[in-house]
Amino acid sequence: MSILDQRKLIESIHPFELLSTNELDNLMAKIDIAYYPTDTLLMSKNLCSIAFYIIIKGSVNEFIDDEIHNVYTSEDSFDADALIYNKCESKFVVDEDLICYEIIKDDFLLLMQNKKVQSYFLQDFVSKHQHLKEYDSASELTPFLIAKVSDIFLHSVCVVDEDKSIYDSLVKQRDLKAKIIIVKSGLKHLVVTDTDLRDKVLLGDVDIKDSIKELATSNIICIDIHDFLFNALLMMTQNNIKRLVVKDGEEIIGILEQIDLLSFFANHSHLIAVQIDKADTIEDLKNLQGDLRNLIITLKTKGVKVRYITKLVSTLNLKIYKKVFRMCVSEDLQDKCALIVMGSEGREEQSVKTDQDNALIIKDGVDVELFIKPMLKLNQYLLSIGFPKCSGNVMVSNEFWRRDVHSFKNLIDSWTQNMDDQSVQNLSIFLDAKLVAGEETLLEELRAYLCKNFYNRDDILAHIAKAVLNFKTPLSLFSGFVLEKEHSNKLDLKKGGVFALVHGVRTLSLQYEIKSTNTIERIKELNNLGVIDKNFATELIESFDSLSAIRLQAMLNSKDISKSNYINPKSLEKNQRDLLKDSFKIINKFKKFMSFHFHLDIVS
Amino acid sequence: MFANFFKNLQRKRNLLRLKDEKFKFLFDEHVSEEYIVFDTETTGLNPKVDEILSIGAVKIKDNKILTSQTFEVYVKNSKEISTKSIEIHGIRPCDLKNAKDATLAIEDFLNFIGSRDLVGYYLEFDVAMVNKYLTKMLGIKLPNKMIEVSELYYDEQTCAIPQGNIDLRFDTILKKYDIPNMGVHNAVNDAVMTAMIFLKLKIK
Repeated sequence: MSILDQRKLIESIHPFELLSTNELDNLMAKIDIAYYPTDTLLMSKNLCSIAFYIIIKGSVNEFIDDEIHNVYTSEDSFDADALIYNKCESKFVVDEDLICYEIIKDDFLLLMQNKKVQSYFLQDFVSKHQHLKEYDSASELTPFLIAKVSDIFLHSVCVVDEDKSIYDSLVKQRDLKAKIIIVKSGLKHLVVTDTDLRDKVLLGDVDIKDSIKELATSNIICIDIHDFLFNALLMMTQNNIKRLVVKDGEEIIGILEQIDLLSFFANHSHLIAVQIDKADTIEDLKNLQGDLRNLIITLKTKGVKVRYITKLVSTLNLKIYKKVFRMCVSEDLQDKCALIVMGSEGREEQSVKTDQDNALIIKDGVDVELFIKPMLKLNQYLLSIGFPKCSGNVMVSNEFWRRDVHSFKNLIDSWTQNMDDQSVQNLSIFLDAKLVAGEETLLEELRAYLCKNFYNRDDILAHIAKAVLNFKTPLSLFSGFVLEKEHSNKLDLKKGGVFALVHGVRTLSLQYEIKSTNTIERIKELNNLGVIDKNFATELIESFDSLSAIRLQAMLNSKDISKSNYINPKSLEKNQRDLLKDSFKIINKFKKFMSFHFHLDIVS
Repeated sequence: MFANFFKNLQRKRNLLRLKDEKFKFLFDEHVSEEYIVFDTETTGLNPKVDEILSIGAVKIKDNKILTSQTFEVYVKNSKEISTKSIEIHGIRPCDLKNAKDATLAIEDFLNFIGSRDLVGYYLEFDVAMVNKYLTKMLGIKLPNKMIEVSELYYDEQTCAIPQGNIDLRFDTILKKYDIPNMGVHNAVNDAVMTAMIFLKLKIK
């Protein structure tokens, strides 16, 4: 690398791009390259840190109390804290032959004179995390700038020959539901708008039996189907027009309306909601699925927080559930039962379709048999719309999840008594139950019963909470070396991170009788009750949001839902990798908190 | 024993020929654990007729490549540079605008390397190129100890594959040791990469 290339590399590493040209020049004159073979101890409590390291190649593990705390790979840097505070609580060991840049301590401290760099290194977790997120969204190319005309809905086009009468043309236009009439005149195309009709036929002296070319004007503005939507918007603005004629080569294939363009640019969730309400048949609902997916992608790239996206999607899904419920269950039975969703749907955290976890609570004294047929139908409908089957068969089509209140109470009793894995799992699913349609009081009765059962039963709660520690947080998987040994180079986001957080918070919510089912709401309420402090609550929420965002991205990218929980940290951008790592650190902290809170170390 | 004696004799003769006392430091005791890795870009591959276009060098101290102290100099040429060679080294006539006279450039280089050991890939050629100027200027040849990276690599590899054909190409070695090839091809750049290979071989 000549000095110039090194400079480019350093500049590409956040936060060094914040330096001015001058500062960077100074810095470049002070950087050395060092080589350390595997297993070199770089710093520890007794070995003072002498430099700031930026990894070119290789990896370094950071250990706290002999447990892997963090893994640093290409383009990562460490350890600012050790230099600033002049002490090091952890141990840094080379995991794979390391080639790195070194900025010696004094030069690094000098660098910290720059306020922006300083604030990056001194920020606490939350602000650093948010800082990184902002950087992440800023570096992503907005899809609106790259969306093409072919991506948007086009209106059908009505083309008539120039000698056709006005009347015939209008009939054709009405039949095609077209907004304007295109008149073919030799090789040229002309246009007739509603304004032309008003001015020349209604207010003027042209008769509707005259030929259409009397009305036609030639100001037709075209755009190619492969052009950018962005250009379409510019053309409309510049020419002060409301529609463009879309061509594929020489052929006219549709009309692009300004209103569609604007709604494409805006979030069109309300449109989907209206369409769900208007749907009469199951077919109508099926057709909406593509829109829903587009909505998620649009919102995500706009930088909308994932927790708001999932909420919105859940609300829309709820509407679909309600609609399907009404299609399947006859009116006289609708208030004698309660359809509930559980698991991620219940927590309003599913984004792209996750398994359907649902159940039906039937009023005591009503014949359970009456609901068999409607529920099988409901299940079929949901499947056909694209709600995947639940692998654990937690669905209304299963007798087990379709009972009356009395029978559910017995079920809860049995769960609390025999605490085997299956019971804990079923209980966990049920804890996230949320009503979608039918009689609300039925679910409330069961929830009250649950709370009563668990009041002051910390022993059982601890047993449930134990599952939090079931899976190791996969921090070690960041090192390329370990990854290759593990299966398929990927880590499981759900098991590794999301599960521990969701399940822990769920258990705490049961203990403190919190009614919300949404994880973030639950965390907020736990904070209100003083179970966790404000700072920790924010850390947990931010981590949860980051993990969900990365998971959402993985889901959108993968075609096979069952594999979408797996991601390869190497395929992530550097910033996302950092976010992920930070989040895992918080998850570890949360696990420690849970262990302490429920005395998990003494529960076997 | 005899080889050593011969080397010493050669060294002494070399010293006697030195025209300028100013550069006596080249014959000092070598600096321990410090090395100079260097590379030249030339107009061609024949030391007799071709000239140096640029010299790039970097210091190694212990396990560190002191990129904070790199050396890079462009050298004025007597002839026009052929188009064909420009394709190889990428140095255009306009890049030589700030070039130094050969004598000055070599003096700077000598001051940079001092009596440190020299490291390089096919070092013999680069040294021959420098010696061509040095003999005229000072009457001597570079007295520094020389370490050939491809030789170190060969020794290392023959232990692993005795009697095998060993591919000594630069790119092969880079790949073998997983050394990042980040920059464009130029003298300093090549010196830094050679330095990385050297460190890996030395510390192994």
